[in-house]
Amino acid sequence: MRRVSYVLSAAAQGFLRNPAMSLASTFTVTLMLTLFAFFMTADRGLQATVAVLEGKVELALFLDDNAKVSDILALKSRIESDPAVARVDYVTKEQALKRLQEIAARRPDFELTDISTNPLPASLEIKMAEAEQAKRLASDLRAEVGKGVVYDVIDNPQVVDQLLTITRLLSFGGVAILAMMLAVALFVIVNTIKLAVHARRDEIEIMKLVGASDWFVRWPFILEGMIVGGLGAVVSLAVLFAAAGPVTSVMTEFLDVLPVSFGADFAVQLVASVFGVALLVGAGGATLSVRSHLAK
Amino acid sequence: MITLDDVSKRYPNGTYALRDVDLHIEPGGFVFLVGSSGAGKSTLIRLLIREETATTGRVIVEGEDVGRMPRGHVSRLRRKVGVVFQDFKLLPAKTVAENVGFALVVTGHSSHEVREETERVLSLVGLSQRRDHFPAQLSGGEQQRTAIARALVNRPRILIADEPTGNLDPVTSWEIIKLLTRVNELGTTMVMATHNAEIVNALRRRVVHLDHGRVVRDEREGLYAA
Repeated sequence: MRRVSYVLSAAAQGFLRNPAMSLASTFTVTLMLTLFAFFMTADRGLQATVAVLEGKVELALFLDDNAKVSDILALKSRIESDPAVARVDYVTKEQALKRLQEIAARRPDFELTDISTNPLPASLEIKMAEAEQAKRLASDLRAEVGKGVVYDVIDNPQVVDQLLTITRLLSFGGVAILAMMLAVALFVIVNTIKLAVHARRDEIEIMKLVGASDWFVRWPFILEGMIVGGLGAVVSLAVLFAAAGPVTSVMTEFLDVLPVSFGADFAVQLVASVFGVALLVGAGGATLSVRSHLAK
Repeated sequence: MITLDDVSKRYPNGTYALRDVDLHIEPGGFVFLVGSSGAGKSTLIRLLIREETATTGRVIVEGEDVGRMPRGHVSRLRRKVGVVFQDFKLLPAKTVAENVGFALVVTGHSSHEVREETERVLSLVGLSQRRDHFPAQLSGGEQQRTAIARALVNRPRILIADEPTGNLDPVTSWEIIKLLTRVNELGTTMVMATHNAEIVNALRRRVVHLDHGRVVRDEREGLYAA
């Protein structure tokens, strides 16, 4: 017990003995963690968005009016056998027209005047299971154009392409920025703890002389590092949760159609990750700064 | 108890602090290490508590090869070997009792043990009345007695003193020496590096004389100078 209370009080003393430095490192850690949480949230949001859009991706094959139904069905089952494809729907000319009429009925600015003939082609609508494959499939299918069944391929996955690019950029950029922030946070923590080690160098010398174990010497500093990290985590999470409400309402307004929301699961994950990173960085930085003092 | 077997210590700059030293100290022995500054006395002491390791040869303390013991054993070794320095090395913000008890706290003893053992050694060195004073409120002799109490509180088998009277006046020096001989009589092996010729000559104990890192004289009831 005496031992535990010694370690605890030494750690607290270390933190309070040099408040300016302790606050500076807490602030740096807070900044790093806020960015970390931001990237984690943004990444999750984009992933959800991509998932939603991916489910909507369609390739459409407009079919020749003279194509034989048997040829169309053969093509349909060929496309269905592609593992990147989720589903293929055959839309007849009549169904296409009916859809257009339904849309027109909902839109007052849209009036269908002459529908005595049906200008709409029949089509095969393809839902992708793997959105990345949409381009490949589209170009494969373009080879079919002019062979009597397909007369055009409508390929509209650019939105997804762009989103995937953004997600990738964000991941790379996020990782790069986080790595830099991590380096800065570690640097500041290492120096803060070095000051604490320096302030207690006589005590450390005596501890080692009288036979204290390395861990006993190390613990107060590791704990001090974890206090810095833990405080940083608390502050950054407080900021995040305070900002979460307003940001979410703006986002839902902006991304109206996208059913993107973060449930309690994600909140728990976020809190755990932020604390995990905070404590690791604090303890790691402290371990680095004490290492040289324990060499002998 | 303590055996140095053909020990040499060479520093990275090429100078030898110790050369081909053979030394054996029996349990309960009392040995003065003498010689001019830089003769190797402090290096020898540092080898015994593994603050340094020998370049060649073996250093055996309490049956363990100090140079080859794993890092984790070093703290255990140091609990068996108490050390006292010329500059006392007390913590100014701690009282006498806290300074002494510190050695027990950081080696994982219970509050009860810390209290009991601290009182025991404080009465042994005659500082029970001063237990709540801070080092700055003590005389040099009292500070050194505090340091000796701290070195003894873990009940070490060996007590090493590096110039324990170096900062003290002659009368106080004698008090400290009397205390250390009493500790030795109670069974603790004593190794003392000193420049104090008067004390060495008066006590007529074993004298190991170092010169340029070599043992040039080892006498059972020696004098400071041959």
